[in-house]
Amino acid sequence: MIFSSELLVQTLLSGLMVGVLYALMALGITFIYSIVKTINWAMGEFYMIGSYLQFVAVHFLLGPRWWWLAAILSAAGTFLVGAMLEPILIKPMYAQPMQRRDDYATVVTIALLLLLRSLAVALGGPNQYRPESDLPVVWIGPLPQEGARVAAFVCALLALGIFWLVIKKTWVGLALRAAAQNRIAVQTCGVKVDRLDAAAFAIGVALAGFAGALLAPLFMVFPTNGAVTTVKGFEIIVIGGLGSIPGALIGGILLGLVESLGAAFISSPYQNVYGFILVILVLIVKPEGLFGERGREA
Amino acid sequence: MALTTAEWRGRGSPRTHQLENSMQRRAFVGGAALAATLAGLGLAPALAQDPIVFGLITPLSPPGETALGQLAKRGAEIGVEYLNEKGGVLGRNVALSVQDSAGKNEQGVAAYRRLVSSEKAVAVFGFIHSGVNIAVNEVAKEMGVPTMGTQTGAGDVTAKHYDIAFRTHAVDGPRAAAWLGWIAKNKWKRVSLLAETTDYGIGLAKETEKQNKEQNLGLEIQTIMFDRTTTDLLPQLLQAKAFKPDAIVNVGVGQPLDLMITQAHTVGLLPGAQMVTSYDGPARPQFWQLHGDQGVGINFIAFYSPKSELSDLGKEFAKRYAAKFNEPPVYAALNGFANAIVFAAAIERAKSTDPKAMIKTLEEGSFIGWSTSPITFPRAEGALWHNWSPPLLVLHYTAKDQTPAAAEVAYILGQ
Repeated sequence: MIFSSELLVQTLLSGLMVGVLYALMALGITFIYSIVKTINWAMGEFYMIGSYLQFVAVHFLLGPRWWWLAAILSAAGTFLVGAMLEPILIKPMYAQPMQRRDDYATVVTIALLLLLRSLAVALGGPNQYRPESDLPVVWIGPLPQEGARVAAFVCALLALGIFWLVIKKTWVGLALRAAAQNRIAVQTCGVKVDRLDAAAFAIGVALAGFAGALLAPLFMVFPTNGAVTTVKGFEIIVIGGLGSIPGALIGGILLGLVESLGAAFISSPYQNVYGFILVILVLIVKPEGLFGERGREA
Repeated sequence: MALTTAEWRGRGSPRTHQLENSMQRRAFVGGAALAATLAGLGLAPALAQDPIVFGLITPLSPPGETALGQLAKRGAEIGVEYLNEKGGVLGRNVALSVQDSAGKNEQGVAAYRRLVSSEKAVAVFGFIHSGVNIAVNEVAKEMGVPTMGTQTGAGDVTAKHYDIAFRTHAVDGPRAAAWLGWIAKNKWKRVSLLAETTDYGIGLAKETEKQNKEQNLGLEIQTIMFDRTTTDLLPQLLQAKAFKPDAIVNVGVGQPLDLMITQAHTVGLLPGAQMVTSYDGPARPQFWQLHGDQGVGINFIAFYSPKSELSDLGKEFAKRYAAKFNEPPVYAALNGFANAIVFAAAIERAKSTDPKAMIKTLEEGSFIGWSTSPITFPRAEGALWHNWSPPLLVLHYTAKDQTPAAAEVAYILGQ
C-alpha cells in the first residue's frame, strides 16, 4: 500500500462524498420505519426505479443539460409509484387487525422487491445503461471529482436539508413526528394516520428514487443496482440510530470514510467488511445507534 | 453457403461417410417401419416428440455478465436451429433448455441438477462465469453429463482434470501472456492490475505475477484486488494513481469493468495511462452508450476480430446471425454456436448420447467450429486439459463509436 498525505486527503474526500450519498438512501428507510413501523426491504428497487426514470428522462426526453429537472421528475415519479403501492400493500396491515405485522411487512416488501426487479429485467433488459452527463470535472483540493458526483453530493445535502426543514418546521412534519411517537394519540387528535402512512411511504421511497437518479451517471442503471445501496442503508441506520435524521447523515459519512480508508490503506478486497466491523462496534458500545433512542414497549 | 450434414459433423473418410449413409438409410427404413407400427398402436407421437436436450446455463440477469449471456444464448439458439434444419442429431430434433445462472454459483448448480435429472439434458454449456462453471463441474463429475465452458477463463475449470469438463476458451496463461506481450511490445514498465476477488480475477492476477517472474520481464506490478459487488472503486484507483502506472489491467467483469473505466477518468488515470480490459466487454453493443468519449483509447483482449478468418461453418453462422440480429457476431455468440455444433458432432460420431461415449469421442476427435483452427480436447497438462483456445488479440479503439471490426489490432499473441 502506498501512503502519502495527499492520498490520505483524497481518500477522505472520496469517502465523505460517497457517505453523504449513502445517507440519502438510509434516510428513506429510517423515515418510513419511523412512521409506518415497517422495514421496507424493497427500498433498493425504488432506488432502481429512480435511476431508470433518470436515464429515460435524460437520454430520451430532456438531454444532459436538464439532469437536475430529470432528477426532480424521477423523484416525483418514484413518489407516485410509492403512493400507488402503499394503499395496496401497506395499508391492509393497519386496516384490519393483524397479529404478526412485522412478518406481513417483510413478506410483502420482499415480494415487491422480486416483482420490481423482474419487471426491470422484462422492460429494460438485463443490460447496463448510463444517462449522459456533460458536467465538467471539479477539483476539490487535490482530488479531481466527476461533475456528476459533485452535483449528486450537493443535491443530496440540499435534499437532506429540505427534508429536515419540512419535518421540523411544518405542520405536516409535526404530524409525522407525532405519528412516529404515538399513532393512537395522533388519531385521537383527529389526524388521519392512514394518510400520513401513505405520505411517509411515498416520501421515503421518493428519497431513494432521488438517490438513484443522482447516482445513475456514476454507478449506472441496471436491474439490481439498488441491492448494494440498500445494504449500506441498513448499515447506516444501525450506526446512526433508527429514526434519526442526523444519525443517517453522520452514519452515512462514517460508513463512507471507514470503507474508503480501509480499502485504500488496509486491504482493498475487504472494502465491504470494514462497514460491518463498524456496525458491530456500534452495536457493542451503543446498541441503539449513535443518535438513536432506547425503545420503550408497554 | 449452406453446409451439408456431413460437413458439420466433421472430418471423416469417404468410406466412413458411405458407411454412415448406408447405415442411415437402413436406420431410416427400419425407423419408418417401426414408426408405422407404433402409429397403429397410438404410440408414435411420444417418440416423435423426444428431442435430444442441450442445456444452456448462462447469466441472463444481474449480477451476472448478462450481455455475454445473451450473446451465448443467441449463438446456441442459431446452432440448434441449424442442427434441426440439417435433420437433427441421430435423426432426432435437438431442443435447447435455457437456464439463467445470474452469475451465481448456487443458481448454476441448481440449474445443472434440473437439466440433468428432470430434463434429461445430454450436454450442458453456455458458462460465462468461471465460478459457476467450477461449481457445476463438482456436481457434474458425479452426475456424469459433460459440460463445456463457453467463455470461462479460470484455470480450475479444466485444471482438476475431470472427465466431464471441457472448454472452448482461453485460460489464464495465454490471456496473461497476451497483455504482458502487449505491455512488453510498448516497452512499458509499471503496471497496475486491478482484479475482482473471484476465481477469475484471482487466477489472472496470480498468473500475471507468475509469468512476470518466470520470464524475467522486469515489470513492476501493483496488484489491487476488490470485491466485485463494490459500487465505488475510487479508493483503489487513487492507490493506482499514486503508483503512476504506464498501463492498467482491468480485471473486472460486467459492472466493475465499466465502473473502473469511468472512475479511472475521474481520478485522472485515463487517458494518461493505457488500460486493457481482460476480456472483450468493450465489444458489447452498449459500450459506447455507457462511455461515450471516454471509451476512446480503451484496449481489450479479444478472441475474435471480424478481420479474423472464419471456417465455412463460421461464415454460415455469421450470415445467419447478421440476418437475424442486424449486426456482426461477436465471440460469445460464435462460441455458443460452436459448443452446440461440437456436442452434436460428438453424439453423431459416438452414435449415442451416453456421456462416456460422448466424452471419449470429444477427447479423440477433431471438430470444426467457427475458427479455421480445428477444435480438439486433448488430455493435456494443467488447465490445458480438455481445452481448446481461440487466437488471442489486443484490440484498441481509436475513435468514438468504433466497431470491433474497425478497431486497431494492437497485438496478436504469438506474432
